Amino acid sequence: MSATRSQPVFETRHLIFLSLFLIILVTMLIGYNPEIKVTSETQKVYDYIDSLPSGSVLIVSFDHEASSLPEIKPIALTVLRHAFSKDIKLIGTALLAEGTGVGYRLITETAKEYNKEYGQDFVYLGFKPQYIAAILSMGESIPDTYPEDYLDKPYFSNEMLKDIINYDDVAGVISIADGSLTTHWIEYGASRYNVNITAAVTAAMMTTYDPYIASNQLYAMFGGLRGAAEYEKLIDRGGAGKRGMLAQSVSHIYVIILIIIGNIMYFVQRKRRRGSK
Amino acid sequence: MGDYRSKFAMVETMMNRRIPQMICFAFGAALFTVFFLSHPLAKDLNLTITVDYWQIIFAFTLIVGVVSFVRITIKNIKKGEDRPYRIVSLIGLIAMPVLALIWGIRGDSPFMWVFEYVQVPMQSTVFALLAFFVASASFRGFRARSAPAAVLLIAALLTLLSRSSLEGILPVYFSDFADWIRSNPSMAARRAILIGIGLGSLTTSLRVLLGIERTWLGGEK
Repeated sequence: MSATRSQPVFETRHLIFLSLFLIILVTMLIGYNPEIKVTSETQKVYDYIDSLPSGSVLIVSFDHEASSLPEIKPIALTVLRHAFSKDIKLIGTALLAEGTGVGYRLITETAKEYNKEYGQDFVYLGFKPQYIAAILSMGESIPDTYPEDYLDKPYFSNEMLKDIINYDDVAGVISIADGSLTTHWIEYGASRYNVNITAAVTAAMMTTYDPYIASNQLYAMFGGLRGAAEYEKLIDRGGAGKRGMLAQSVSHIYVIILIIIGNIMYFVQRKRRRGSK
Repeated sequence: MGDYRSKFAMVETMMNRRIPQMICFAFGAALFTVFFLSHPLAKDLNLTITVDYWQIIFAFTLIVGVVSFVRITIKNIKKGEDRPYRIVSLIGLIAMPVLALIWGIRGDSPFMWVFEYVQVPMQSTVFALLAFFVASASFRGFRARSAPAAVLLIAALLTLLSRSSLEGILPVYFSDFADWIRSNPSMAARRAILIGIGLGSLTTSLRVLLGIERTWLGGEK
């Protein structure tokens, strides 16, 4: 007879994984429609873009990696849709190489929805390595930083860029980020060149930018799937934010239940241990 | 003989320490000055350095990274450590630049196809796995073992609840209290961290420029 006990096929963690998967799957299949309350921070970003006159120019910087796309894409789409619906002209850039292709695809696909033309209504400048250098250099001269756009067309061959030389000629910058890159926009773009910075970030990064919001160095911010869902409500257009919010909410509740059960077990075991001493 | 040795040691110190320190100080001081000057010449110089020279330095750092990665990977393949994975990573490293050089990186190029249908799903999958590990860790590790841990736990639970779509189910003060946590204790901690990082960066930069911090030259001698 073997002295060692064989490992069970299913350990607790396997059951936790499986339960989480099933809970999310069932919730997504049921398609429950949660009520979303718009927070003041999302409302501020919406109001900012909404208040810009038609024909204003915004820089949208795709400062994220591919890994966060499920969360970043709904956020980016809401901003792009709102801007295009208000006839705001967009200049797309990317300070992370991985965001370049993603940003181009998002901006061109959204532009198609609103019949916007490349060169007239939007331009994609693409990736520039060394983000601090890129931000500083765009503050001096965008055409010198990007002599050609993402499609290798000379900068000034794009009609909408004819009068755009530096940050003075744009209404602001929206940094769509999954990390701390927006910090560099704030520290170098806003502090040195006084350009208005708005952030659209992943939920995990929101508290990082709270001090910058409080000090008005960052004009406005929204983020996470919740932010995307709120923005979708504001522009009256459903999307992946609301769908994702549902999965996120049930997984949050599931985690809360697990924490409570784990703590109950911990206190019961502690009481037993103390009782046996 | 002794005189020759001392002269050799002096030249060695000069080449290994003094000259790099002088270059470091000169460039550091120049960049610092140029950054804060508004003279057109200073602006032009700043633009040249930031647009052209930093990009060249960046390209060289990439070369160093790639060469180092290839060397370590080949060494481990020879040893037989995680051989299939390392071969795949090496193929990826070679294939992506080849695809980019032949067909470019725009629109519907093979490079973008691999990026969108291989790299993006793989990275998203790995990132999504975090949710499962967090769920498991929350059950096994997140315990109210002490009063500070209990405070942290309650704050986390409230924040989780406030970031869920439970409007109409939970009382309003739940989310108000979660917002208060975010705008006060959480922000105070974040500010302290930011100020600490700022002061730390400033002092480290000054120490390097003034030659007090010399570990970047290869250790204290």
